[in-house]
Amino acid sequence: MKVKTLVITGDGLNCEKETARAFSLAQSESEIIHINDLLEKPDFIQEFHILAIPGGFSFGDEVGSGQILALKLKHGFSEVLEKFIQKKKLIIGICNGFQALVKLGLLPNPFSQRVASLTYNKSREFIDKWVTLKGESETCIWTKGIKEISLPIRHGEGRIVFSSDDVYSKLKSNGQIVFQYTEDVNGSFEKVAALCDPSGLILGLMPHPEAAISQMLSPQGERVLKRGDGLLIFENAVSYVKENLL
Amino acid sequence: MENFKRLEIISKERSPIKLLAQMAKEHLGLEIEWIEPVKLYWVVGKEFSESVQNNLEEVFCDEVLENVVDTDPSIYQNIHFDFAVEVSYLPGVTDNSARAALDAFSLFPALNSSFKVASGKIYLLKGNLSNQEVETLCTELLSNPLLEKSEVYSKEKFLQNKRFKNYQFPEVKLGTKKVQVYDLNVSDEELEALSLRNTWALSLDEMKHIQSYYKKNEVQEQRKRKGLPVEPTDVEMEILAQSWSEHCKHKIFASNINYSQEKIQGFKSIEKKRVEGLFKSFIKRATSDVQEKRQLDWLISVFSDNAGIVRFDSNIDVCVKVETHNSPSALDPYGGALTGILGVNRDILGCGQGARPIANTDVFCFADGDLTRRVSKPLPRKLLHPSRVFKGVHKGVEDGGNKSGIPTVNGAIHFDDDYAGKPLVYCGTVGVLPQKLNSGADTFGKRQKAGDVIVVIGGSVGMDGIHGATFSSMELTEGAPATVVQIGDPITQKRVSDFLMEARDKELFTSLTDNGAGGISSSIGEMAELSHGARIDLSKNPLKYPGLAPFEIMISESQERMSLSVDKNKLDEFLSLCKRRGVQAAVLGEFTDTGFLDVYYKDELVASLDLAFLHDSLIPMELKAHWNGPQERSFWHEEKEVKSFNDSAQFIRESFLEILSRPNIKSKEKWVRQYDHEVQASTIIKPFMGKSSHGPNNAGVVWMAPHGGEGKRALAISCGMCPQISHIDTYVMTQYAIDEAVRNFIANGGNVEKAALVDNFCWPDPIESSKNPDGAHKLAQLVRSCEALYDTALVYGMPFVSGKDSMKNDFHGKDENSQQIKISIPPTLLITAIADIDDCEKITTSDFKEEGELIFVIGSCNYQKINASEFSRLYFKEEQEVEEVHLEKNYSLYQKINELQRKKILRSVHDISDGGVATALFESCLGNNLGAEIKINEGLNPFALLFNESSGRFLVSLKREDCDTFLQIIEGHQYLELGRIVNDSSIKINLPQSQLSLSLENLEKAWRSE
Repeated sequence: MKVKTLVITGDGLNCEKETARAFSLAQSESEIIHINDLLEKPDFIQEFHILAIPGGFSFGDEVGSGQILALKLKHGFSEVLEKFIQKKKLIIGICNGFQALVKLGLLPNPFSQRVASLTYNKSREFIDKWVTLKGESETCIWTKGIKEISLPIRHGEGRIVFSSDDVYSKLKSNGQIVFQYTEDVNGSFEKVAALCDPSGLILGLMPHPEAAISQMLSPQGERVLKRGDGLLIFENAVSYVKENLL
Repeated sequence: MENFKRLEIISKERSPIKLLAQMAKEHLGLEIEWIEPVKLYWVVGKEFSESVQNNLEEVFCDEVLENVVDTDPSIYQNIHFDFAVEVSYLPGVTDNSARAALDAFSLFPALNSSFKVASGKIYLLKGNLSNQEVETLCTELLSNPLLEKSEVYSKEKFLQNKRFKNYQFPEVKLGTKKVQVYDLNVSDEELEALSLRNTWALSLDEMKHIQSYYKKNEVQEQRKRKGLPVEPTDVEMEILAQSWSEHCKHKIFASNINYSQEKIQGFKSIEKKRVEGLFKSFIKRATSDVQEKRQLDWLISVFSDNAGIVRFDSNIDVCVKVETHNSPSALDPYGGALTGILGVNRDILGCGQGARPIANTDVFCFADGDLTRRVSKPLPRKLLHPSRVFKGVHKGVEDGGNKSGIPTVNGAIHFDDDYAGKPLVYCGTVGVLPQKLNSGADTFGKRQKAGDVIVVIGGSVGMDGIHGATFSSMELTEGAPATVVQIGDPITQKRVSDFLMEARDKELFTSLTDNGAGGISSSIGEMAELSHGARIDLSKNPLKYPGLAPFEIMISESQERMSLSVDKNKLDEFLSLCKRRGVQAAVLGEFTDTGFLDVYYKDELVASLDLAFLHDSLIPMELKAHWNGPQERSFWHEEKEVKSFNDSAQFIRESFLEILSRPNIKSKEKWVRQYDHEVQASTIIKPFMGKSSHGPNNAGVVWMAPHGGEGKRALAISCGMCPQISHIDTYVMTQYAIDEAVRNFIANGGNVEKAALVDNFCWPDPIESSKNPDGAHKLAQLVRSCEALYDTALVYGMPFVSGKDSMKNDFHGKDENSQQIKISIPPTLLITAIADIDDCEKITTSDFKEEGELIFVIGSCNYQKINASEFSRLYFKEEQEVEEVHLEKNYSLYQKINELQRKKILRSVHDISDGGVATALFESCLGNNLGAEIKINEGLNPFALLFNESSGRFLVSLKREDCDTFLQIIEGHQYLELGRIVNDSSIKINLPQSQLSLSLENLEKAWRSE
């Protein structure tokens, strides 16, 4: 049996192709499906082991980034997602996908009171930049073994805000703070760049690992077509599925 | 009865918008201590039950971040502000937040379709400002009165709740309009007046041409038979005006020109001649001659589709198009630029059977933001401040590219005071087509036939963008019509774009084109040529609001729309996919083979135009061109301060820093990083590279494997322009512009033997008249530019595959003393190049790699004498000579560079252009924070060496052991061993008598100065 990944698209999401390509390179079958087609048959999600909500500008970031996409997911897929999560399957939200997962309430703690959000960068400007991330989460399945990684950020609303300061320390001790920037790029609380749920199966991150699957895509170093660091994140997910779900 | 609800969404944390405060200070001289936004929505509906209330909060408010204020404004009590400024859209203006909110409403049963939404914005302002100053802020910075209205509240007034009780939804109310008929049997003066009054931009000759056509017996007979009045209807006049506008028809490039010139020593002499069409004689001929001479087999479709198509490899074709959106950007920089980039994206979507956009390019020309401080004269009335134009345009292109998921991979920003009247906004897009569809059909070309259904998809039409095509064919005046300004909607277009790719692969349509200038009058008018006729019913076109006259529906340029032809048998499937993808579609009629474009409104025939008359009857204009030789530049103002030159060694330091801080040379990183340049995960040469990620590069390079190309192949995209020397000679200017574009891709490994070019001419009005006394000179400049374009393309062996022109870039207005003032742009030619890279592992970048490696300058230049350059313009009043371009020599050098790249001998390559060797050297140091030690030998002028700008030169670095091979390969070409790379953050310059060291830190500070 093969590992199967579903990548959602539509309504202004725009990184579906490179996200699907990254999963394919990590040896998963990946299928891109329009969210409206999925709404007609929500249970189809259960055919997959991994659900990816890629980056983009769903609904043009109007009203609030990821906000309307989150509402659409909530209204169409609440039960299906709950079942998906109960089956210990994997979910990743990248950039706009991360914003949607947070606003949907799946991150950092699914099915409980929301404690986090993502909002305007401190500069109030969009920024495209490669950043170095440090990780020490023992919890997150996706980032196993990654202590440091360089990935690009490309967002205008990537600043993580918590509803109170103790949220951060709780998440930190739970291993739910997955990555932190090594510099202050957007004013995020404690430079947080990525969060996971307590099980480590749901990951949300602002940086784009799918844009770092080849050394060729890095702004520095030699121009060679060898594997890039971002690929590891997708491979970790695929290994987990192979070991636990197949 | 309708009720409404006003919702103010206020952030829980206090966070200012620093950029607005900075802009207020910069161009209005107003000190704002604090400014922060509050989101604002109005919802109109019949009943606001509790569930509706809850749903609204869920839609509009993020509970972690925000609070909702909907009745009681007391929350504002504890916030420090002096004024609140409320900005909302005028009726009919695109409101993207409201559109998105309605998408959200559709998820809630309680928020049924009877609810309407409008959005706005509130700014809370703190500062010691008078009411008058706050008003100024409103109109000059916080809103654009062409699109928005604003209201100012004092804090005291804002704490009251009156505003929650009264509201008027912004709705366009139009009376019913009937089709009019124009009597053209009037005097010449009246014909001209008629054209002006209706913004037709038709000349007297063209009006008379229409007049005599409608007088013909057979035409009148035919019209009577069809039940039409013998005189033209407004729908017909408008279709003709749009289709014949300079913007759509490119009449100047098609005209007959009698060229003559003075003989001037040192400048290309062109014999007296009659040019029968610049486009035909130079641009198109360049392509066909290059194709024949080089036996090119990779030109698939040039100058016939929405974009030029070339064969890239055995899997895919690449198409490219560059557009300008100057006039709309002058009036509303944000909306103008946004619709510019979305418009050129649609050209790519409408190319062949529909191409996928994979990269954008953006080139802007502005006056610099310092202008008003620097010169003795205030800006002419009604002109927007150049930094507002810059920031608005930049934001528009940012939103257009980023929200569409298309990376902006290359571009430039050029500053000159003569762009103060009209900014230039060039937007380009590169797309990819698979060569075949599933059925085996080719993807280039159109396949529509009579009987195919005409479908328009995307947005609805409104008054926005009416007369855009004709307006942009006229000079800009104070009284420009507001309807030409509009805001784009990237998400509606993204849905259209995703849909088109899916529908193309399922082969659900037979052809398509973009609705741009002239709206459906142009798109369907042009498509009708393929099947020889079309019949449409305008009443079927979805409207934003009722009351549009038939001609308005016909020519509205409302955005995000495409016209398609669909085979009858596929129509159901096509429409059903539209519905599932949330794309609005309307069937307007069908293509016919009657030879006529027949337009109905319901059952009434409102226009019937013979396609032969519409498309092929115009007689070319007869124009005069005379070149007077190089001209002194005369500006519309005077500089307050002129810098002076001295030739001491110390002055090298001073001028190096000064040059790096010039608007045309200083860092654009802050702006470029706001564009997503790597979405789609295939940009392998980014704007900035190296360990520091600050080293500027020359071209953008896109790896094509993710787009269906062969494994290691890549595409380099670059640009070049040199308007700063246009006044001297546009012949040389054109050689420089082409050479710069070519150098830029060569530097990153583009193949000089497989490259294609795109031309975009932006010119001041080149037609002589009493209002435009030097028109013949400007036209001669255009002829010389086209001559050079042909000559250069032939030597470089590069075909032009697409191009566009914009011909009336002049501003007519009044200065502070109510005196007439005219500001014309310098003649500006943008060259965009695309070049093949067969092995992306052989790409070179601009950043120095390692300490001890050698630095060379290759390519020819006279280092004895300072030439025309940024340096000379800064320090010398008198014009210096522009150095000659040696095309053959350059081409041979570029082949050698490609050879060195294939052999991996070059460790870094950087183009030398604006700011000369000094700038290139500094930029190469930056990428990996390495320094350089260079030597300037006796007998060379150090200023010429550091700052001269000639064509065909590169700064390269290489390993010491490769030096011999390097010198062997470039034998016969001028070179200079400049020095070596050092592991020390400085540039050391060894002169015959002295030494000097400049720290990279100081240089970088100057380069990044605001």
